[in-house]
Amino acid sequence: MIHCPRCQSAETRIEQEGREGEQIIWSIYHCAACSFSWRDSEPEESISYARRDPYFRVDTSAPDQYRIVLPPE
Amino acid sequence: MSIDEKIARQAAGVSSLRDYLELLGEHGQFITWPDAIMPEPDIREICVASGTDALAAPAILFDQIRGYPGKQLVAGVHGSFANLALLMGHAKGTTVKELFYDLIGRWGTHNTDLQRVTPGQAPVYQNRIEQGINLYDLLPLYRINTYDGGFYLAKANVVSRDPRDPDNFGKQNVGIYRLQVQGPDLLTLMTIPAHDMGRQIVMAEKDGTPFKISIMLGNHPAMCMFAATPVGYDESEFAYASAMMGAPIRLTESGNGMDILADTEMVIEAELLHGERHFEGPFGEFPGSYSGVRRAPLFRVTAVSHRHNPIFENIYIGKGWTEHDTLIGLNTSAPVYAQLKQRFPEVEAVNALYQHGLTAIISLRNKYGGFAKSVALAALATPHGMMYLKNLIMVDEDVDPFDLNQVMWALSTRTRASDINVLDNMALVPIDPAAVVPGMGHHLIIDATSTAAPEQMGADAQIVSPPSGPEIDALARRVLQLQQEAIK
Repeated sequence: MIHCPRCQSAETRIEQEGREGEQIIWSIYHCAACSFSWRDSEPEESISYARRDPYFRVDTSAPDQYRIVLPPE
Repeated sequence: MSIDEKIARQAAGVSSLRDYLELLGEHGQFITWPDAIMPEPDIREICVASGTDALAAPAILFDQIRGYPGKQLVAGVHGSFANLALLMGHAKGTTVKELFYDLIGRWGTHNTDLQRVTPGQAPVYQNRIEQGINLYDLLPLYRINTYDGGFYLAKANVVSRDPRDPDNFGKQNVGIYRLQVQGPDLLTLMTIPAHDMGRQIVMAEKDGTPFKISIMLGNHPAMCMFAATPVGYDESEFAYASAMMGAPIRLTESGNGMDILADTEMVIEAELLHGERHFEGPFGEFPGSYSGVRRAPLFRVTAVSHRHNPIFENIYIGKGWTEHDTLIGLNTSAPVYAQLKQRFPEVEAVNALYQHGLTAIISLRNKYGGFAKSVALAALATPHGMMYLKNLIMVDEDVDPFDLNQVMWALSTRTRASDINVLDNMALVPIDPAAVVPGMGHHLIIDATSTAAPEQMGADAQIVSPPSGPEIDALARRVLQLQQEAIK
């Protein structure tokens, strides 16, 4: 199970595989909980929960802290 | 035919991104990256390394991105003033000040030439996908900055119609809005209520009417440049781009009823999912800082049209200097100048290139002591000035505001403590990273003009007057040309 590097949710899905011939050289994932997308070949600074700057974590259990753009009526 | 005449003729013949890349290539402003690269971090690093050269950076095509065989990406298309000079029909080495005056000369022209092309004749319809749409498969996507929330289309021109007046051509909006890919056929679009797009989304959701957009990727270079210019709500950006270029713009119709550029590389048609908001961001924005995470409107892609071997055009944006600064800089400066000039003919030029005008320099003919401060206050009362002109430096007409060496000279030699005014606790664009409270901040005026009566003059200082003007600009270009010929 792949956990999201940003919010640690397990609600992740594989979106795309990049190939060279028969070989898969990277995969793109998307987190359904916090909408983060990443490629598993990226530098750890972007895709490792431990190595990412904690400032950029997203806490989906408290969504109200993230402003709604054009709040629907 | 002079070099300028030749380039002007070539520029007038540009009707697509491909034409423009050819023109840039002919003048050494377009390169193809020769190596195989990874999407991250290679694209980001190459774009940053190239983009710091605001005067001469080339557009770069990437066609060996690993995992994306056969896909093409271009960045830096508007990344230097040399590229903009060629678009406007001038030789490389044309000064930023000259480009500014060229743009001012075109300002307010209304000679539009919009040509209609049937969809069957439009190159953008060479391929069409209506089933099994997968953006990950169609575009060589990559993360622009390290902590961006995902993969962004950051230079797309998005077309939408007024949901309450859909047949009004003028009210049809074309704007650059950042789009985050949220799935094979899902995108979030970032906007605010003050944007035309924001207004239209609010209207459609309130009325419960469908709201469709056409996302144009890889466009006529004038479209990107002028779609970023705020025009009136009922003014067409297509007409504006044509008038500013003095050249025709070829339009056709998208599958979901928008007017689109016939020669664009790709058009993604999408429909708003009413009431749905998905996490969006962060995204490295133009002040060089990340915007926060928001919950933004979601769109489902309904069809994609594209030319054969489409070129995905994207932009590096972040801590300046970046392509974004070159793309919007002159168009930010021109309206402030035009509005000020109406009241103060003494205004000579406005340089608002820095972070959308968070720092700007205005040159003028100083009439009397304190005059420049009054003009500065008027600049702060222009529509753009109110929210963006944070730090304003006023200089005399003998200082080229686009030449920072000269501006520094004015600051060094013409500024006293009493020439500095700070207006605190004013409205300011919320995106300013220095804001204590987003949406409020200071305006700073530094009057670096020379003393004028009745102000007391300083110690006897007679300024050296080196030759200046168009003849000197022409000589500077001649030197550059001779230098280039010397290489051959």
